[in-house]
Amino acid sequence: MTYIVSLMILVPLIGAVLTLLTQTKEQARSIALVSSLAPLVGALYMMMQFNSLTPAMQFVESFDWIPSLGVKYMVGVDGIAMPLVLLAAIVVPATIIYSWGESKDANQFFALILALQAGVMGVFTSLDFFLFYIFWELTLIPMYFLISIWGGPKKEYAAIKFFIYTHVASLVMLLGIFAIYFAVWAQTGIPSFEIPYLLEQFQFLESSMLRDSIFLAMLFGFIVKMPAVPFHTWLPDAHVEAPTAGSVLLAAVLLKMGGYGLFRVMLPMLPFTGSPDLMISILAFIGVLSILYGAMLALAQTDLKKMVAYSSISHMGYVTLGAAALVPLSVSGAMFQQFSHGLITCLLFMSCGAIQHIAGTRVIAELGGLGQKMPKLTVLMLFGFMASLGLPGLSGFIAEFMILTFAYITLPGYVLLALLGIVVTAGYHLWAIQRSMFGVLNDKLGHLHDITNYETLSMGILALLVLYFGLNPSPVLDMMTTNAEQIVSLMALAGV
Amino acid sequence: MENYMLLAPEIILALVGLTILLTGLFIGTNNKNILGYIASAGLIAALCLTISNISVNETMFYGTITIDALSQFFKIVFISVSLLVAIASIKYTEGNKSTDEFFTLLLFSTIGMMVVASANDLITLFIGFELASLCTYALAGFEKNNPKSIEASMKYFIIGSLSSALMLFGISFVYGMTGTTSIPGIAENAGALAASPIGLIAVVMLIAGFGFKMALVPFHMWAPDTYQGAPTVVSALLAAGSKKMGFVAAFRVLVIALAVLSPTWQTAFAALAIITMTLGNVVAISQTSVKRMLAYSSVAQAGYIAMAFVVMTPMALAGGILYTLSHAFMKTGAFLVVAVVGYMVLSDNKNAKDIDHLDNFKGLAKRMPITAFAMMVFVFALSGIPPTAGYVSKFILFSSTIESGLVWLAVIAILNSALSLYYYARIVKYMYFLPASGGKVSEPLPYAIAIILALAGVLVIGIWPEPFVYWAMEAAKVLMI
Repeated sequence: MTYIVSLMILVPLIGAVLTLLTQTKEQARSIALVSSLAPLVGALYMMMQFNSLTPAMQFVESFDWIPSLGVKYMVGVDGIAMPLVLLAAIVVPATIIYSWGESKDANQFFALILALQAGVMGVFTSLDFFLFYIFWELTLIPMYFLISIWGGPKKEYAAIKFFIYTHVASLVMLLGIFAIYFAVWAQTGIPSFEIPYLLEQFQFLESSMLRDSIFLAMLFGFIVKMPAVPFHTWLPDAHVEAPTAGSVLLAAVLLKMGGYGLFRVMLPMLPFTGSPDLMISILAFIGVLSILYGAMLALAQTDLKKMVAYSSISHMGYVTLGAAALVPLSVSGAMFQQFSHGLITCLLFMSCGAIQHIAGTRVIAELGGLGQKMPKLTVLMLFGFMASLGLPGLSGFIAEFMILTFAYITLPGYVLLALLGIVVTAGYHLWAIQRSMFGVLNDKLGHLHDITNYETLSMGILALLVLYFGLNPSPVLDMMTTNAEQIVSLMALAGV
Repeated sequence: MENYMLLAPEIILALVGLTILLTGLFIGTNNKNILGYIASAGLIAALCLTISNISVNETMFYGTITIDALSQFFKIVFISVSLLVAIASIKYTEGNKSTDEFFTLLLFSTIGMMVVASANDLITLFIGFELASLCTYALAGFEKNNPKSIEASMKYFIIGSLSSALMLFGISFVYGMTGTTSIPGIAENAGALAASPIGLIAVVMLIAGFGFKMALVPFHMWAPDTYQGAPTVVSALLAAGSKKMGFVAAFRVLVIALAVLSPTWQTAFAALAIITMTLGNVVAISQTSVKRMLAYSSVAQAGYIAMAFVVMTPMALAGGILYTLSHAFMKTGAFLVVAVVGYMVLSDNKNAKDIDHLDNFKGLAKRMPITAFAMMVFVFALSGIPPTAGYVSKFILFSSTIESGLVWLAVIAILNSALSLYYYARIVKYMYFLPASGGKVSEPLPYAIAIILALAGVLVIGIWPEPFVYWAMEAAKVLMI
């Protein structure tokens, strides 16, 4: 048994403590970079060793933790978790490189980023609800501090709103966890928080009302995190006020926890709820609503960063829609959308951060012609925007193409509605970039310079990855499809 | 022949207490520091002996004292709190000529609490209650020249005496109907109580008596004033230690002796628990004195623990019992932090008023990083954020409500928990986000040790809860016979 998964949680955590103890920003950022690169090496190693042909858990570690309650320390990855572990391992070092120049309390800043990475790695790999919930909550604390110390003018309001909103949602999810734990305990006589075991036993619970309540309670926790309309209102505030690194991690990694929960917990339960058709309709409706409403709101924004925040809501809507369709390739498309959006959204938020930093404003109307002074940023930003609106050849296209094409098999009506979103999406992206980067240079902006080499490096790496996975998605898509097929086969088992 | 070794912790504390009192007569004020060390050593010895006897199950002295998992668990809670308070008080009492009395009272009140934990007879229970209460009345008024401290003490004394009277009244009814004061004896004859309206009156009286100690709403009025006015180290003892005395007494008397009447007191506790947690949290939000805020938060926490009486499954009782241990560390720690901040403010400016005001926490992270970090862990633990003791206890306690289908109770408790986060997070905000108004200060060593021990307790229970959960479950088994 190797301890690679535990190490990927532990190394950032130790790195966080070490970073906190450093005195200068040079030490802080070097230690932070090294400790965030270690999980990347680990993730790449795991990718090489990973067997994409089986939906089973791999690299499993399991120890008894609180035997009196049936709590285990159990971690492992499968095709659902592995790509997200890889995503987190890529995004965090990229964020650290991007924030290389951070000088306000640099040791705390980088320590919090590493703590966040540890929490997220834990969420993606825990196979025990007790452990899962601990990591789930632990991701809140670093984010809360990142927003409220390094954030914008209304940072305190945004931080507390973010914290309380998502904390309440997690508590509702916790009620669902309690319910399934005790129901299964009563049924089998064995207390256990093991996620695969509880999901397996879920179908044998007698009361269909109980099964529905459990499903809905946990669903609530996940879709608030994603976030899906109408539970999205915390996101724009948090994004607008958060520092760039915070926004990047929030959009690229934290939101993915919600989607991950959908695949890990909700879909295996769904066929066995009292009325699967109703649940599918709820999911599909939420998905389409997020796609359309998020896109419309993005179109209406005057602040570039707020626009990107709403575009996140819209793109996460595709994840819900693809998951609800329950066709193997739409489900794996939805998983791929999570991965791809995680990479693309980094580019978008980093661009917004650079513009804010250099031009002093993010209001689209006050920008204009930045491309003349900032060619490097313009290229990378345009790349990100094109990927975000779904240009073929980039990763976003593959994900959304798969979702829309294959979801049409089971949910044709919803897909036709969602297609309208594509037009709006293209609209707001092009309109925003045209008004901000092209056209006549706005003289009031003062002296402008291009982005630093560190910013270019991190954004360049991400752009190359977007291109790479756009041309060759199979390294992550294959394992996703294996697990998606297994999830969908449960539907057939339940006879839905 | 009785096995006196089982009472060794109490005996040691009594001897140490008397030694301190006597020694105090012969040494000068400047050397009285040593007494604090003696008291701490005595408490450590008592703690070790209690832990070593944790799996004993015996009754002694004609069935008036029982040593079982429940009594041992609560004794560990009481001794731990007293130990933390004693260590911190080494600094607090420095240069005070009444140091010997302070530590003697502290030790004697601990013995009182331990007697309550072990009591298997209502009279023994009452004696323990009174011993602990009388000592803490005096401790609350320890700052004789501070009118607030005197007021706190008076208020506590008057209301405490009333509650003792009510409790004694309840006991007399129980004795009158069952003809015995022995707890197992009452359990056998409780049929007579259940059949007559006197049973109801007795239960109401007893709940009122215990409720005062637990500071359940509407019996909580004294708590905020007393916790705020008393010396902060004493507030820690009251909130984290003597409050638990009410719980262990209620566990023994209501759950074991008056189990037949459980429908009556379960309903009462359901109402009390909900009102207590909601009122405690709502009022805590608007407090500007950190001590007072902690007092209301302590009221709210009592509301959570009282849920154990409503649910009454082994899981719920274990959760409630574990919660008392966790709360002991979290609350003592938080109060000790307030004490250190008070010390810091006074060392800035000797004539400072309102030393427990929230403004004094501004920029604490810069001034005293270790204390600020500890406080952050304590308040996050109080609001139930992992991986802390508060999280594990809340997890077990709240989950048990789902087990018995009381979803409404779980929802109320969880909403309260989320509400409490607001005022706890505010302290963190003050400590970490607001600018500091002074330079770096190093914590006095005794305070630092006590705070770090409390921090260790909170984190150890949070990260490796197995032994604590196991013993809480063993203690709950005592109640479920």
